[in-house]
Amino acid sequence: MLTVKQNLKEVLTGGNPDRFVKQFEFMQMIMSVPSCRIKPAIGEEVVNEWGVTIRWPEGQLGSFPVHDADHILLKDITKWRDYVKAPNVVFPAEAWEKAIADAKAVDHDNQYVTAFIAPGVFELTHYLMGMEDALMSFYEEPEAMAELIDYITEFELAYAKELVTYLKPEVIFHHDDWGSQISTFLSPAMFEEFFLPAYKKIYGFYKENGVELIVHHSDSYAATLVPYMIEMGIDIWQGVMTTNDIPNMINEYGGQITFMGGVHSGVIDHPDWTKEQVEEEFTRACRECGKLYFIPGACQGMGVSSFPGVYEASDAAIDKMSKEMF
Amino acid sequence: MSKIQEVKAKVEIGKTKLVPGLVQEALDEGNAPGEILQAMVDSMSVVGEKFSSGEIFVPEMLIAAKAMAKGVDVLRPLLAGDTSASLGTCIIGTVAGDLHDIGKNLVSMMIESAGFTIVDLGVDVPAERFVEAIKENENVTLVACSGLLTTTMPALKEAVQTIKASGLDVKVIVGGAPVTPEYAAEIGADGFAPDAGSAAVKAKEMVA
Repeated sequence: MLTVKQNLKEVLTGGNPDRFVKQFEFMQMIMSVPSCRIKPAIGEEVVNEWGVTIRWPEGQLGSFPVHDADHILLKDITKWRDYVKAPNVVFPAEAWEKAIADAKAVDHDNQYVTAFIAPGVFELTHYLMGMEDALMSFYEEPEAMAELIDYITEFELAYAKELVTYLKPEVIFHHDDWGSQISTFLSPAMFEEFFLPAYKKIYGFYKENGVELIVHHSDSYAATLVPYMIEMGIDIWQGVMTTNDIPNMINEYGGQITFMGGVHSGVIDHPDWTKEQVEEEFTRACRECGKLYFIPGACQGMGVSSFPGVYEASDAAIDKMSKEMF
Repeated sequence: MSKIQEVKAKVEIGKTKLVPGLVQEALDEGNAPGEILQAMVDSMSVVGEKFSSGEIFVPEMLIAAKAMAKGVDVLRPLLAGDTSASLGTCIIGTVAGDLHDIGKNLVSMMIESAGFTIVDLGVDVPAERFVEAIKENENVTLVACSGLLTTTMPALKEAVQTIKASGLDVKVIVGGAPVTPEYAAEIGADGFAPDAGSAAVKAKEMVA
C-alpha cells in the first residue's frame, strides 16, 4: 500500500494510485505560525490587521467584512495609500518556535508541512473596499487598482519570505475565491491582466524556495481560468464546484493540474445531512471524474465540515469508492 | 449616430463619465426625456442578456448600471410625476439568517434599470418585514427574495409563504445559488431567475 504522499504523487502524475486521495489528508496545516491575522469568533466583531471590520453573527457559517458607510475602509481607490497600510509580517525567531516544532512533529511519510494563506489578493481588494466598488474600479481606476494589487503582492511576498525562512513549508494552501458558482467575477482577460502577474510572483517565489506543491482554493466556477492557474504554478485547484465540467477539464488539463472537489458542500453539509446523501454524491463524483488528476472532496476550504460528522462521512464514502474502483 | 443612440451605446459599455453629458446633449437636441430613458432601459436589457450568456461579467454589468444611474440623474427633474415608464415598486431583500448581499445588489440594480422603483430592505430580512414594506410603499408590484445558502432555504420558503398568505396583490420572484425553478414553484413563488440579467427580464414579464 502506498503512503498518502506516494499515492497523491501517483494521482498528480497520472501514475498508478492504489486508492483515492481522501480530501485534505495529505496536508498538515501548521496554524501555530506567528500571524498578524485577526479573526472574529462566532458572535464577535473585530477590526482586523488591515483595519477592516469583520463580523461573525451567531448562526452564520462564516464571517463577513462589513461594508456599510461607517465601516468601509477604502473610501476612494485613487487615494488608496491614505487608507491602506499593510500589517507587520516580521516576527522574532522565538515567535516561530512552536510552528517549527509542530512542523517537525508531522508524519512526513504521509503528510506535507502546509502553510495556510487567506485571504488572497483578489479577496483583499474587496475586503478593503466592498465587492461592487472593487469590481467597478478595475474599469474606472485601473491604474490605482494595479498599484493596490502590487502593494498587496509585496505584502504577500514579505510574509512568504518569513514562512520559507522559518517554517519551510512543503505545501502552500492559498485561498482566493475568483468566482461565483456559475461564473468568474472577472473576465478571463481582466484576470490575466491584473492577477496572473501577481500570482506568478507569489507562487513562483514559493516554488523557488522549497515548496513542492501549490494548492489553491476557489470554491467557484473557474474553468476558464485554468490555463492561468497552470501558468502561475498551481498544482491542485481545491474547491472545484460541480458547475465546472470536471471530467472535461481533466481530459484537457490533466498532467498539468489536478482538480480537488467535485462535491458541493451545500448539497451534503447541512443540518439534515445523511450518510446516504454523502455517499451518493461521492459515488457520482468518483465515477464521473476517475482515478487520475482528481481528488474527491467537498468544496469547503479546509479539512472540516460546517455540521459535525459530514467530513468523516465524506472520508468513509471515499474509502467505499476506493474499494469499488481500485 | 444620433445622440440618443450614442447614449444607448455608451450606457452599454459603462461610460459613466460620458453618459450624463450625452443625455444632456440628447435633451438639447429635443429628444423627450421618456425616450432617452427608454433607450437606456433597452441598453440594460442588452447588458442583462450578455451577462446571462456569459459574454460579460459582473464589473461590466456594474459600470453599465452606474452609467445609466448617472444618466437618470440628469433626467430625473424632467421625469418628476411622469410614471409612464415605471413598472411599479419592487421590494427586495435577502431572507432571514442570510447576510449575502452582492447577488441581491446586482439583481436590484438590474431590476431598477428595467424600470422599477427599488426599495431595498438589505440582508437578514424577516418574512414579516417584506409584508410590512409592501404595505408601507406605494404601487408595489413585485417582491424579490434572495437566499444564498442551503441552510436559509427554509427562510426563503417562509418569506414567500408569508407574503402569499398576506393576500396582498404582488408577484414574488426568488433567486440565489441553491434555488432551482422546481424549488421556486414548490414554495409558491411566481417566478425564478438564475442570474441578475434574467431577473430583470423575468420581473418585467411578471408585472406585464
